[in-house]
Parts: sequence; C-alpha cells; structure tokens
Amino acid sequence: MPSFAPLDAEVLSFIAQDGCTDARFDELALRLFAHQYAANAPYRAFCQGRGATPRSVKAWSDIPAVPIDAFKAQALRCEPAATGERVFMTSGTTRGDTRGRHFHPRLAVYDRSMERNFAERFMRGQQRMPMGILFPDEDAMPNSSLAHYLALAKSTFGAPGSRHFVGPQGTDWSGLWQVLEAAERTGTPYALLGASYSFVHLMDALRPQGRAFRLPPGSRLLDTGGYKGQSRELPLEAFYAELSQALGVPREHCVNMYGMTELSTQFYDDGNASVPSVKSGPHWIRSRLVDPVTGRDVPAGERGILVHCDLANVNSVTTILTEDVGLWADGGFLLLGRAEGAQAKGCSLAVDEFMRATAA
Amino acid sequence: MTVPRPPGLPPIRAGYLPGIGPDEVAWEVLPFVQGGARVEVAVPVLTAAQMEALADRVQRAAARHLKTMTVAQIIEVIDRAIARLLDRSDPFRRQAEALLPVVSGYDAEMVRLGLTGFFKTFRAPQLRRFVAEDFANPLVLDGFQPAPKGGAVRALGPGLLVHSWAGNVPALPLWSLVCGLLVKAGNIGKVPSAEPLFAGWFAQLLAEVHPPLADCLAVVWWRGAGAEDASALYARADTVLAYGGNESLDAIRRRLPVTTRFLPHGHKLGFGLVAAAALDALEGPALARRAAWDVMRYDQQGCYSPHVFYVQRGGAVAPRDFAGRLAGELAQLQRRFPRRALVVEDAAALAHWRQGVEWRSIPGASGEAAEQLIGTPDDAWSVAFADGPRALAPTALQRTVQVVAVDALEDAVAAVAAQKDYLQTAGVAAPPEALYRLAALLGDAGVSRVCAIGAMSTPEAGWHHDGRFNLLDLVRMVEIEPSAEAAAEPFAPYAD
Repeated sequence: MPSFAPLDAEVLSFIAQDGCTDARFDELALRLFAHQYAANAPYRAFCQGRGATPRSVKAWSDIPAVPIDAFKAQALRCEPAATGERVFMTSGTTRGDTRGRHFHPRLAVYDRSMERNFAERFMRGQQRMPMGILFPDEDAMPNSSLAHYLALAKSTFGAPGSRHFVGPQGTDWSGLWQVLEAAERTGTPYALLGASYSFVHLMDALRPQGRAFRLPPGSRLLDTGGYKGQSRELPLEAFYAELSQALGVPREHCVNMYGMTELSTQFYDDGNASVPSVKSGPHWIRSRLVDPVTGRDVPAGERGILVHCDLANVNSVTTILTEDVGLWADGGFLLLGRAEGAQAKGCSLAVDEFMRATAA
Repeated sequence: MTVPRPPGLPPIRAGYLPGIGPDEVAWEVLPFVQGGARVEVAVPVLTAAQMEALADRVQRAAARHLKTMTVAQIIEVIDRAIARLLDRSDPFRRQAEALLPVVSGYDAEMVRLGLTGFFKTFRAPQLRRFVAEDFANPLVLDGFQPAPKGGAVRALGPGLLVHSWAGNVPALPLWSLVCGLLVKAGNIGKVPSAEPLFAGWFAQLLAEVHPPLADCLAVVWWRGAGAEDASALYARADTVLAYGGNESLDAIRRRLPVTTRFLPHGHKLGFGLVAAAALDALEGPALARRAAWDVMRYDQQGCYSPHVFYVQRGGAVAPRDFAGRLAGELAQLQRRFPRRALVVEDAAALAHWRQGVEWRSIPGASGEAAEQLIGTPDDAWSVAFADGPRALAPTALQRTVQVVAVDALEDAVAAVAAQKDYLQTAGVAAPPEALYRLAALLGDAGVSRVCAIGAMSTPEAGWHHDGRFNLLDLVRMVEIEPSAEAAAEPFAPYAD
C-alpha cells in the first residue's frame, strides 16, 4: 500500500504557515489534484469528461468541481478502505435517502484544520473556556462530522467541566440551566455550541418559564447547520435577536459556522450583529461563485453557486460544487441559502417535488 | 417591501375587483426584470371582509346576468372577446404581447405564437365542440330537458367557482375561466405571482364586450398560500379548481369544508414513444423536429411537456441518431426562440441534472446502461441519451430532455407505469395498429391523453384535462323524476 503520509505532512505544514501567496496555494492545489486524479478512478473519469488533466489544469480555479451529490453515488477516495478510518456521512434528509460519504483514513489534517481555524475565529486568543455542547457526542453519532467537530472543540479548547448536554434521553435542560446559572454567578465566560435547531429548542424550552440568562461578558455562542426540519424555522434576524435575548450574549458574539460533511475546513463569520453575515475561511481554503451550468465565475454583484477548494481534503477531492447560493461581500461571501428550494413555476413536475414524493 | 421604481412609470395594476375601488385595497408591487426591460406589477391585497363582499357580489351578479343567458349567448360573448385577443392591433393583444414576455421571461416570438395558437381553441366553433364533448344535449345547461329514462334533467353550475391558478405559462387561466363561464358560475380566480396579469385583462375585456358580465367575475391575489383572505374566499366557494404541486393542493384541500367540491390538477410528467416503424429516413428527422418543438414550447413548463422520449431500436434512424437530431433541432430552435434567462436556482437544478447524467456516463459508475450527454454546458438545451432502460423521471426542464433506447415500446410502458400519479400526456409515433395497442396499455398505466409528437404541448379544444370532464365535473344535475311529473297531473286546472 502506498504511503500518503508525506502529502498529509505537506498539508499540515501549509496549514501551520501564516497565510500564503496565490502561487503557493496553486502549487499545493495542483499537487493534490495530480494525486487525486491519479489515485481516484471515478474522479479521473469525471475530469476526463470535462477535458481536465494535470497537464491542462494550471490554477486551483481550473480544477473540476465535483457536485456534492457525487459523494452519494461514488466512493470518492484515494486510499482503499482500511480499519480505523472515519467515514463522515451527510444527514441524508434533503434528497431521497442516500447519504453522501466522506472517507478519512486519518484525521490529523482534519483536526489540525479545525483547531487552527477555531482557535482564531471562535476562541479569539483564549486558550480554554468552559463549554456546553448542544449536540450528541461521537459515540452516539460516529458518522457525523459535526459530532466530531464539536467533540474536538470540547477536548482541545474546553476547560474542565465542559460537557455535552444532549444524550440518548434528550437534552438535559435542568443540567444546562444550572451550568448557565453558575456562569452568571461566578462571572466566568461560558461558550455554548451546537446545531442551530438545538438553540431553537433551547429558546422554546426557556419561553414557557419566562426565563432568560445574562451570561457574563466574554461568553459566546456557536450555531451551525440550520434547522434541517428539526425545529421551527426562524428567519436569521429573529433567530439572533431571540438568541441574544435569551442568553444575554451580544449578537457580535453569536458566531455561525458554515461547514459541510464534504469539506475538512470550516467558514465562520465575525458574529451576527447584522444578517446575513459575511463568511470567510482560512488561507488553505478558497471559494468561487459560479454559474453552476457553465462553471464560470458569475459577474461581480450577481448571486452564484459556491465552489470551495479545500486543501485539507487530501483523500477525497479538493474542489466541490455546493448547492449553496452566495454573493461576494467585503471580506468574504454572504450565504443566501440553498438553491434546491427553487420553486417550480410551471405545471410540469420538477425534480425536487418528485424526489420528495418518491422518498416519502 | 421597498422596490426602486423606474422614474415616472407607475406599476401596472393586476387583478379585477368589481365594486372595489383601487384606493380601498392595499397593493403589493412585484418587480419583473428581463434583460434591459423592467415591469412592476401591483397586485391587490384584500381583507377577509373585502373578500367576502366580493364573493357575494360576484355570486349575485352571476345569478342575475350569467345564469339568465343561454350557453349559445355566452359562447358568442367569449368568441367576441377572443376575436379581439386574436387581433394583433387590438390594445388588449398588444398589451399581452408587450408585457407577458417580460413577466414570464419567455421569448417574445414564442409568446406571440403561443398566444395565437392558444386563443384559437376558444373561438365559437371550438367552444361548441367543447360543450358538446361533455353534454350530449348542451341545452341541459339552459333548462330542463327530457331525459331518456323519463322525466327531465338540467345541469347547474356552481354559484361561486373559485380558481387557484399556478404557473407562468402565459394566459393559462383562460382554460378554467372559460369553463366556469360556460356553466354560468360566478368566478373568482387567484393569480400566481409568476404571471399575475392575463386573467385580470380577460375579465376587463369580457366586461367591455358584454357589460352585464362586469360583476360576474373577479381576479384576486394573495401571497403564498394566503391567510384569512384566502380562507374567507374558500369558505364561500361551492367548487374550487386548483392547479399546483401536490403539497400546495393538499394544503388547499385541508382548508375546505368537506361539502365543497375540490378539483385538483397536480403537476405532471409528459413523455413520448417512438416506434421503429416511424423512424424511416424520411419521417425520422421530421419527427425529431416535432419533438423539439414540444420541448421548446414554454421551456417545458406545461403539464403536457415531454421530459423523456422512449425510442425503439431497429428503425432506419437509430435511437442515438434520434437523440442527435433532437439536439440539432433544439439548437436550431434556440436561434429562433431563445430560452429564457435562468435564475441561479433554475441554473442549479439544471446543473444538478446534467451532473447526474455526467456521473452516470462514467463506465462502471452505476449498474445501469451507459448514458451520454449531448451538447455542451454553454448550450441552452441538453439531451441525455441512455442506451438502456430508464425509469420515467423528471428532467430539469428548461429544454432538457432524455432519450432512452428500448427494444420494444411495451418496455417503455413498464418504465412509466410506476409514476401513474404523475402521468397525463403521452406523445406517440407508431403505426395505427400499434397506436391502439399502446394506447390501451398507456391508459392502464395512468395516461389520459395520447397525441401526436409535435402536438403534446398544444392540447386541442375539448380535451379531457387529466382525464376529467372539464364542464361535467363543475355541474350538478337536477332531475325531475317521472313520478313527480305524474303526481303533478292531478293538480292541473284542466285535470279531468
């Protein structure tokens, strides 16, 4: 079995750098492309269909972007399956019941990518702080990249006493209220992290009691992933207004993380004082906004579909075509929701309705 | 919502509200932008009380002015209105030709041709056929007629017929509005945000052509599924005719009293069957041209539009060649009738479909037969060719079509049967004997309309939409049984 550790090492040292030049980004992106093209047969066939080869691809933006649906249809991997590998799966709630799979033979690069970025964007210089996780742990959800992400946040950045509040019996609200009261009492800043819908559940649990917390200054919140049909749907403005109200955390410290199972790197905003917030990532991920049909960049000022080139995606493919609509903004991009909600305006059956009906 | 307005141009008012002044309702502005052209349409937002008053007014007026007309007279009035819509110098027609392309995004020439073809199906001879299709004796709509079993019978339309229109195929509300008029119902229709204009114009035109009809119909709007306004209107309806996706139809049905007749028309999935015998060197290419027209018309947004063509192997034109010719014809048509510009959501759906084909075209990638995408991402059409069985599934519309090679057309019938709830139109090109054999199988599978390829997107006057009776479904029969006649005799002043 060939060893891919040198490539891992190269990516790890790239992540450890302070930023990079365009040329350095291209250089590593092209090395990874050549590797993935050689080692991943379905991806090679896809690229050949697009007329893209390691000879013709000259910059990261030339790398064919794989639609995220392909993670459902194909095993997009360079290394063969091995014991001990981690497989992250998409939640599979949106289209039919096949789930996209992202294979990680090792998690060293994923973890380093998460930690370096999280330290800067969420911890903001703080070494550790007490954390509450509003999401199941990795034992309960071994195939959830979010469960791993949050467990890593807790183990790497959580102060002693940090814990998960969602278990097999549901959410331990009384335990959470006690911890939040303690934080209020002691004045120790607290961090609460979880799925966006978990925070809606939290607000719904507080409201009947007419209760609200005033967490001490320095406290912060991280939500991610949207509502996924797990809670009532709140517009962004109402979500952060109510959340800030419920926990006494200013909206500039309510951070949203934008991540995907198909990626190994996350995007963050600098709080949600105004929405939609501007999202940005670290130097080892770059994004484009494209017309999804032609794959070409959209003109400035127009909405497009996000393409991400993530150099931490060593074993799968660096470059993916999302289903997320974005718009360039100062310092990053605005995330404007998923494109799949396109309303069929005619009387002809549209794929989305069909998929919902046949999945039911 | 604040929308920047072009200087000096007030928004165009949609809807038709007899008895309600423009200052008495709130208006919401819907902007439409296509290329350099921008149109703003103001749509009315009624309160529940206004909706109730409107329902009363329309129902009363229809009882007084519409129910007292004969069907022949109603046909004559509609015919005069249609004649004006067919007259390209008429202000109503000019307005439609100028604004509907901007609102819908469709090519102006496509809209012009589409409107003419569509309006022609509503001229007096076609309307008479339409009525005759459902009523052996159309006079039952005007009064009691002798029934063959004895006694007498008459057909009464609903006092208030509420329409919930969907879709942006221009002028489509005309179908159900004309049906409602022919059965003498008071009509109130809700226009979709995607094409809010035509129905209101037609109501105005009717009022102009025959002023007593002015209060017999109304055209309203509400956002999404509507709130109390919609509920108030639905509560007054005797019958509700609704178009849309199954989810929105279900939402409407759930708010209707059980005594209200509900006539839903859901989204459909059209397809074509091409027999090897129809694929000789002369007919094959012509057939591909007609198929391309069916795909091009309104960018496949009609319920009758084809998504898939099943093509039998063994003809002079092989299935792959048919797909290639279809692609060539679509490329030609793009020059004459360019596809409308896609918003990013439509583009994403299209990309999603194309990429699905792309991945399936990788050998060994799936268990199914190889697939092939014809055309480049820059083409405003896509043809996918599958050299083996494929279940019927929707394409991404916007001129995307799948061609599937089959050994026998019976295989295709099996492939579509699983989608029986979504079947309606099947275009068939086959010899006469095969036509009848296939039609029987298709009917069993759930198809309600078999037509020629090339005629799929232009249903004829009097067709049975979704296999239903357009007029009969709207009426209730009132019978005088022979016993009542006999029992009346002794009370006659001349009784012996």
